[in-house]
Amino acid sequence: MALPLPPGLTPPEIAFLCEMELVTVIPRQRLEGLELLGGPLKPLNPPQRTSVPLWLALLLKRQRRANILPPPWLSPESLTAILDHETEYADAFSPPPRLPPLASNNTLPFSPPFLPSSTADAAPDALPYHWLELGEMLLEAAADDFEDPDNVRKLLRGLREVRMAKLRHGVEVLDAGGGVPMNGVGGMEVGEGRAFVTGVIDGLRKIAASREQQKKDREREERENGYSDYDNDEMDMQ
Amino acid sequence: MGSYYDVDAILTDAQKVPCTFELTVPGLGFLEGNMSGDMKQGSKVELPLWLGEMLALSQSLNTSSLVTLDAPSALAPRVLNALKADPRTVDLRALAPHFYNLGARILELFDEEEMIEVLSDTFKARAAVIADQAHNPRGALGEGADFLRGLDENERQLFRAAHDSAKAVRAWMTELKKK
Repeated sequence: MALPLPPGLTPPEIAFLCEMELVTVIPRQRLEGLELLGGPLKPLNPPQRTSVPLWLALLLKRQRRANILPPPWLSPESLTAILDHETEYADAFSPPPRLPPLASNNTLPFSPPFLPSSTADAAPDALPYHWLELGEMLLEAAADDFEDPDNVRKLLRGLREVRMAKLRHGVEVLDAGGGVPMNGVGGMEVGEGRAFVTGVIDGLRKIAASREQQKKDREREERENGYSDYDNDEMDMQ
Repeated sequence: MGSYYDVDAILTDAQKVPCTFELTVPGLGFLEGNMSGDMKQGSKVELPLWLGEMLALSQSLNTSSLVTLDAPSALAPRVLNALKADPRTVDLRALAPHFYNLGARILELFDEEEMIEVLSDTFKARAAVIADQAHNPRGALGEGADFLRGLDENERQLFRAAHDSAKAVRAWMTELKKK
């Protein structure tokens, strides 16, 4: 309570994490390979396309040393299709991009930002985790690399409105033990919705605390009496 | 429940609940405004929740308790029916500034399945409206003003949380444009 910051991440922090995403650039100048903390970077040879982290791409763009190639899902056609999907299915978010198959059974699965979900060869039909931040930043820094930046901006706004409304109305079906399917929700949306959704869940838990206590007491009693109906109950609930 | 220093918990405990004295207590008449007299058996007094709870739960030597608690007027059947009919139009703040906290405390003392249902449904229905108002800057001044004035303390915090996070994202977006 004494902390001035709310729990979770603030929007600038989410945007900072997003800057690790790889994007495709077309360099205009040669640049020698860099040894970055995140791994070595291949030398930039114009006009060969390369994937670089977003922060470097924005820097190069600002210095006019490179052009950014927006990911395919940031095209007006893809965004319109996704927006249609969002408005058609009122109770689910559009699915996140499919994960690539694992190389072998004992490798750890990759997660953003180590997936190439925002490069030029990303899937065109799904919004990746950092869609909103990445879209806004690219539109701001590299609007001239888009074919139709105003339309893209409008569609992003529309998507954001539709999805936030869904997130807000998801709480109506919550109860102290239940949940809302949040597959496909992006980083910035989680950050924006966190305070409200957790507040609602806390409030509901407070109201239903006495019922929960009763349930626990009853279960404990049953277990102490050697009455093993408890396992069956849990199976039924699932 | 709550921290020792939680102001909201203290204020919740200070809300009055109707109590009926089951025994005559000598010298307790000042609770009724009767400075020197006794508290008669069967008299009804509004006591703060913490005091009423203590008196109701403490068992004297003869097993009957000192007072019996009733549900406060904020949680009367009339109010619950109104909430069942339309949760959005009830002014919870006028009923009790800490309506839900009071409800939770009362539910610890009474066993009322239905009240849990009504309060949960009310909270959920109103939370959806709160979220919409928090994202709509004109709502707080225009047609939503009456609704927002009727929010209880929990709901106000919820409104503030939803409003602040939306504001933070907007601030980030304008910050981006300045660069």
